[in-house]
Amino acid sequence: MDWLDANLLSILNGLALAALLFLIAVGLSLVFGTMDVLNLAHGAVSLTGAYIGVALLDPDAGAGQFVVAILAAAAVGLAFGGALALLTGGVRDHLRQALLTLGIAMIAGDILRQLFGADVQSVPTPNGLAGSVDVLGKSYPVYRLVVIGLSIVIGVVLYVVLERTQVGALVRATVADRGMVETLGVRSNVVLAGVFAVGAALASVGGLLAGPVLGAQPGLDNTILLLALVVVVVGGLGSIRGAVLGAVLVGEVQTLGVALFPAYASFLLFGAMALVLLLKPGGLLPARYGAATGGHA
Amino acid sequence: MPGPSRRRLRRTSLIALVAALALTAAACGGSLDEEGGGEEGSGSVKVGLALPASGVYEPLGVDMTRGFELYLEEQQGKLGGKEVEVVKADEGEAPDTGVPAVQKLVTQDKVDALVGIVNSATALGVKDTVSQSKVPLIVANAGADEVADGGDYVWRTSFTNGGVGEALGGAVAEELGNESVYLMAADYAAGRESVAGFKKSFEAAGGKIAGESFTPFGTTTDWQPFLSKAQNSGAKAVYVFYAGGEAVNFVKQYKSFGLGEEIQLYGAGFLTEGGVLAAQGKAAEGVRTSLHYSDQLDTPENKEFVDAYTKAYDAPPTVYAVQAYDAAAALDLALKDADGTSGEAIAKALGGIGEIESPRGTWSFDEDHNPDQPYFLREVQAVDGGFANAVLNELS
Repeated sequence: MDWLDANLLSILNGLALAALLFLIAVGLSLVFGTMDVLNLAHGAVSLTGAYIGVALLDPDAGAGQFVVAILAAAAVGLAFGGALALLTGGVRDHLRQALLTLGIAMIAGDILRQLFGADVQSVPTPNGLAGSVDVLGKSYPVYRLVVIGLSIVIGVVLYVVLERTQVGALVRATVADRGMVETLGVRSNVVLAGVFAVGAALASVGGLLAGPVLGAQPGLDNTILLLALVVVVVGGLGSIRGAVLGAVLVGEVQTLGVALFPAYASFLLFGAMALVLLLKPGGLLPARYGAATGGHA
Repeated sequence: MPGPSRRRLRRTSLIALVAALALTAAACGGSLDEEGGGEEGSGSVKVGLALPASGVYEPLGVDMTRGFELYLEEQQGKLGGKEVEVVKADEGEAPDTGVPAVQKLVTQDKVDALVGIVNSATALGVKDTVSQSKVPLIVANAGADEVADGGDYVWRTSFTNGGVGEALGGAVAEELGNESVYLMAADYAAGRESVAGFKKSFEAAGGKIAGESFTPFGTTTDWQPFLSKAQNSGAKAVYVFYAGGEAVNFVKQYKSFGLGEEIQLYGAGFLTEGGVLAAQGKAAEGVRTSLHYSDQLDTPENKEFVDAYTKAYDAPPTVYAVQAYDAAAALDLALKDADGTSGEAIAKALGGIGEIESPRGTWSFDEDHNPDQPYFLREVQAVDGGFANAVLNELS
């Protein structure tokens, strides 16, 4: 019990980081897994969300204002994602996708820098969530607990929609056999663009929620993209469960792992990734359907 | 769907190559449109300003450009009575952009003197170049201990990483008495040098160290594991070195995990300087740092400087602005004495300028060509609805 007592905060904190990583990475995973588009502008979408927090929230913003900011971030993310889907629609080759989306990411990053300056900005924690609570005798920031809760809710909703509803069935069917879906009178492009837009909206909201922890500054988009890519590679492409597992693993390695082996802090993350790739090259829980499995190639 | 044909694949590789080349060319700065320099008579002097106009250090570059230009403006565009032509080059983020920028200023623009350099690796990378081409370089930020070593052509108006930490060690040891301190820093040269400097004077004054952590530089997003270690170590104070975005996140997390109330946070002044402090806001209240400047310094020289700077740029000056302002001042003094405007003459004259009156107080170059200057103990306090680094006392 001593061990648990000493490391409880780290474990909890790993979950909070995992919650943020999940929200950001799940879109990247779904888009790559289902649409077969490698979207390197994903970090930029996420940073846009953080800057929306900078723009809309004043230092003593309440929970109401925060909800408005979340909705705004979701709306902007949807639009950004839709535009990206449109632009990458005709590009099948991964290298070209990478070049195209990387270019978009650079342009978006520069626009954000023009608008908000190069200085690091902070996103305030909403009033009422700024304090700490006692968790088994240790004080822990309330906001991070809320982030964990919110992320679980979003994850469950996403899973249920994709696996248990007609909309989800349509997405899965489009991925499995585009031609068949189109003969039924459904425009497959619209379905896939929808996936792209929702994924981007989640990344944008994730970026906003990460704001009070990570702040907002030029260059953060690349850090986020890198972490999200690690989550996707570790978890496996195109599956929500994979993104959850990848995020939790990366989150815990970054906190609990660092707490236990501080001397190896900079090596742990990529060490863990290399280990997963050695043992399971496809990631821990890859999708059972979709482009990632090579099902329709 | 059939995979891409071999030809197409090769074409894409080609495009990628072209794109990569385009990026490199852009990074080097459009150097072709510059006029070829040359001597323009003894009445004028050409100064190269190598400061970041892009990348993570851009805010520092902006402040430093302002500081330099403000001094120049106050002297009606002249230094040492000579008309000044300023040529700017983008230092960027790292040596891969910074070194070519300096080389361009030296070989193509043929500047007589160089001012700038934020990144220590860049400063170390151009040390030989400036010495060989006999162009004096006045380093206005880069803090790596070994940048200035008494060589004829490298001078520094800023600080050494070790020096800033060393200034604080004695005072903290005295404050803590029998209690111990925990050390924490970003795991790169600046962080390690800063901690080493602090340790040196802290241990010399009889201070006890509870432990230390070096956090991965640039990739650490969460300091909780390290903060827990500091908390469990029983230390009554923490000394850290962080700058930029890391400083913001660190200070906010230090506060949100509730360490602020029990364990006093000390740091090198960059922890709470300029835009960083604005982003930290209330979370930084009570943090104590050592630095060679604060815009709150209560001296006539500083008040005049702060007024002029605020009027010109609508923002309070930072330590970075003062460092560049003083680089211009040093150049001004040297050019007054120099025998002509050649790099050699300026470098020689820099050795004899003596004391410099600055907003930070009076300082002079030491034998290594580093500033021998006062350091101040500062505390973040609420001032005029915002937060600022109030000066508690001068550190001896």
